[in-house]
Amino acid sequence: MGDFLQYVELNSFLHRLDPRTKFVFFIIMSVLTSFVKSGVALLFLFLVFLAIWLIGHIGKYMLVLLNKVKVLLLFIFLLWLVLGAFTINEGPTIYRAAFSVIGNHYVFSLDWFDFYKGAVYALRIFLMISAFYTVILTTNFSQIILGLQSWRVPYAVAFGVGLVFQIIPMIVQEFATIMEAQKSRGLEVDKCSAFAKMKNYVIVSLPLLFRVLSKGHSISLSMHYYKLNFKVKRTSYQMIRATYSDALFASVTIIATVVTIFLQINYYIQI
Amino acid sequence: MSFKIENIGYKYSADTPQILKNINMEIKEAEVTAIVGPSGCGKSTLVSILSGVIPVLMNKGELTGSFQTGDDLVISVVSQTPENQLFGYGVEDALAFGVENMGLSNQEIHERVEYVLDLLHIQHLRKRAVSTLSGGQRQAVCIASVLAMRPDMVIMDEPVSSLDPQGKQLIQSVLNQLRASGQTTVIVDNNLDWFSDIVDHVVGLDGGEVVFDGNRDEFFAQFEVQQRLGVIIPQEVEIYRELSKKVSGLSSFSSLDGAYEVLHDRVKQTETAAALEKMENHSEEVLKVTHLSKNFQDGFQALKNINAGFSKGKIISILGQNGSGKTTLVKHLNGLYQPTEGEVTYQGAGTAGKSVAEISRDVILVFQHPEHMLFEENVYRELTFCARAQGVPFSEEEALAVLEKYDLLADKDELPVNLSMGKKHLLTILSVLFSSAEVIILDEPTLGMDLHLRNHLEGIIRHLKEKGKTVILISHEIPLVFKLSDELLVLDHASMLKEGSAQQLAGDEALFEKIHIDLPPVVQLSKKLGIKPLACNVEDFTDAIAEQVKIGGADRG
Repeated sequence: MGDFLQYVELNSFLHRLDPRTKFVFFIIMSVLTSFVKSGVALLFLFLVFLAIWLIGHIGKYMLVLLNKVKVLLLFIFLLWLVLGAFTINEGPTIYRAAFSVIGNHYVFSLDWFDFYKGAVYALRIFLMISAFYTVILTTNFSQIILGLQSWRVPYAVAFGVGLVFQIIPMIVQEFATIMEAQKSRGLEVDKCSAFAKMKNYVIVSLPLLFRVLSKGHSISLSMHYYKLNFKVKRTSYQMIRATYSDALFASVTIIATVVTIFLQINYYIQI
Repeated sequence: MSFKIENIGYKYSADTPQILKNINMEIKEAEVTAIVGPSGCGKSTLVSILSGVIPVLMNKGELTGSFQTGDDLVISVVSQTPENQLFGYGVEDALAFGVENMGLSNQEIHERVEYVLDLLHIQHLRKRAVSTLSGGQRQAVCIASVLAMRPDMVIMDEPVSSLDPQGKQLIQSVLNQLRASGQTTVIVDNNLDWFSDIVDHVVGLDGGEVVFDGNRDEFFAQFEVQQRLGVIIPQEVEIYRELSKKVSGLSSFSSLDGAYEVLHDRVKQTETAAALEKMENHSEEVLKVTHLSKNFQDGFQALKNINAGFSKGKIISILGQNGSGKTTLVKHLNGLYQPTEGEVTYQGAGTAGKSVAEISRDVILVFQHPEHMLFEENVYRELTFCARAQGVPFSEEEALAVLEKYDLLADKDELPVNLSMGKKHLLTILSVLFSSAEVIILDEPTLGMDLHLRNHLEGIIRHLKEKGKTVILISHEIPLVFKLSDELLVLDHASMLKEGSAQQLAGDEALFEKIHIDLPPVVQLSKKLGIKPLACNVEDFTDAIAEQVKIGGADRG
């Protein structure tokens, strides 16, 4: 849980990139995965992502992500599988049966195509999430702020975005500590019914709320101590500059996009 | 420049009580001023006024009197939780944040960052991520970040309250650098022990009024004021205070060398009867860890082959710097962590396979930050939470009596999170009185407590011991550890270095040098004076000295 949803400090090719290059990658990949529905194209994109993760030494963190979202992906896969089973598709069929409920006739038709459809939708969602996560793992919140500022995003907005990524790991840690503290004083969350477990988790949310409010209060005081005023123009200590590596990564992103679009056009099966 | 505070009064709204009443004081240039006083005396409100939080951010209250402020004046605050104050991923980002807000040129920002890195000797931290720093390093970076703004005054609010001894030493050295550089500094902390060598001027607040305003030596000479304000004073001053009640004509002292000068002629190097009465008695081990090792998923080895026993009816303290494995060890004792190797047994039976809540009926752990534990709607329900969770019978009279004894009866219906930090902590500790657990683990129980609350805490720990319960204590307050503990367990870099009685281990200077923890002044003085066995608390020490003075007087007579 410690490294989930936060920047991982490494000195890789990906980490050294200009944050703006990674933002562009994220935007292009988000758009691409929103409309690409070709299994071949998505598989190609996945291989590109895999190469990027391996070069960036973040492969194991992506496995952690996969583990965290596996239930969601399974749900998406099963949802499309079940919905598809009530549509008759072309191609090989695994099981087909007709039945009627209150006078209405239905056909249950489980085809191999339903599995393909489920896999395509699950892969799309995973690629969407992982494009975002690739940026988060390799760009710390100070770089995020700098990148956004250089795109003329108002400092109040850029600072707010950076603050969210600074605070998320703190809140995750706080929640884990509160759970431990409550269990230590006798709150049963391990050996109890699902209902009792849920009730006890709700109980734990109260101290978490107080802690988050208290943190928010401390942060607003600190902003005052540091004379942060969004109406006053501020200067910057760090500078960001695009390098040869950024040009290379941008080229890879563009080539991957072109190839994906080509595969989408030529190998798309209507779903 | 000096800062004059004249006739400051404040209340949070028209229908609430007056928090500050007619405060007059002067904070002198290039001096270190301590503002002390019990919980709720108005210290935090005064800091809010000095830093401009009142009235800039909080403008609903009624503020009277005057304090020089202005746009050109920079007054910065270092809070007790630097993780909430540092903005920036890297140390350099965090240091530059305030200066960037001032709109200075890039070159000026670089110069200021370099200046504070050099001033506080933290150049080696510049490329580190803030999240990887130790507590002390983080606080040092926090101080550096406000100094980069070239403040006219720096206010530090309990800056070492959650630091280990090494972290405290780092901040002490940082404060020495500040003092040498002529920085006007205000420290708000009721524990004068850690910065008594640095402070020039002490202002005592009680009930929203200034009740003391003088220099450090004047403050140390006024025992009644110290007690009234609940200030934790250096143990050397406490020794003088207690000894002067038993030995007449004693010259005053407030340092170890001063105490030695005054006392060495009066003491013969012999074993004293009072100290010899303290014979060790062994009792059954209620909790035991055998060959305990812990490796985390990322490969970090947090504990290496620990073998230790915790005896019934004893107070056992676990000593070591942050990261030595103290918290990891106690989280194994109550089942929060499962060992990689070895086992934990309670009364001979292994705890593996039991849930944490089940183990809490026998072994209960009270966490360091009370906010992690409090969630009931009032103080009374919070007090009785453990009893209700564990099905332990209790009566309302019993619960109310506990609240009354520990000055919480008036807060009975209050939302627990609204209490002061010290009271919140006291409440979480009191709730274990209603638990069935025979082993109580307290992790940094003194956090946020003034002397009055700390005295209550000592009373609770002794009460638990009298009831035959085992108390395991983790605390960076070393004088308190030696005062209360029957046994010590010393950890360093995940290994157990030694286990034994406080007196036995107090004699092992090499051990404490190795773990970078200073022995309490009372132990150091006992050693210098040749008192055997070594006195581990002020009471034993003053008894030993008083006895020798009596014997010396009788011999001369």
